[in-house]
Amino acid sequence: MTDSRDYNRSDRSDRNDRNDSQGRGSNRNRRFVSRPKYCQFCSDKNLTIDYKNVEVLSRFINETGKIRPRRQTGTCAKHQREIAKAIKNARHIALLPFEGDFWVENH
Amino acid sequence: MHKYELIYILQADLDEATLDAAVETIDTLIKNNQGEITKTDRWGKRKLAYPIQKTNEGYYVLVNFEYNPEEVAALKRTMGFNEQILRYSVVRVD
Repeated sequence: MTDSRDYNRSDRSDRNDRNDSQGRGSNRNRRFVSRPKYCQFCSDKNLTIDYKNVEVLSRFINETGKIRPRRQTGTCAKHQREIAKAIKNARHIALLPFEGDFWVENH
Repeated sequence: MHKYELIYILQADLDEATLDAAVETIDTLIKNNQGEITKTDRWGKRKLAYPIQKTNEGYYVLVNFEYNPEEVAALKRTMGFNEQILRYSVVRVD
């Protein structure tokens, strides 16, 4: 019973999970997803955010074309804002999709 | 004068001469309004991420230029009237 409930939990409750698991003692059904701890753009100063650079931006959208959240990509708040802006610019000139899959066959 | 970056997508099914003419028109349009072009970069034919006006391909051109901020709105309007241009975007670079 508890198993199925855990499985259906949304990502939003991630933050609480850590505290909960200590209390319950058993977390064998929880999948561990390793997440990057550092912002890529803060650690690598040469990596710039540009709305024309599809290769970098495509790492920050998921397969449905949505912008991936910070908790998945590890970017800091400042760079996440820039990324989001760049993705929206790129969508307007049809470099990235608004929705759905796309193939980077031009590169 | 500020630095701007313009990307526009031309219809991909135009022939070479028409493409050249279209790019030339935009370049002269910028120059005629006291703009200074630093670079015109033709990306060439690319697949669009989604269809625009029922076409799946477009001819991308990137222009770096300096322009008077008050004239940008007029430039955008003129580009909107051009039917060979599927989509354009003017972005300020700092």
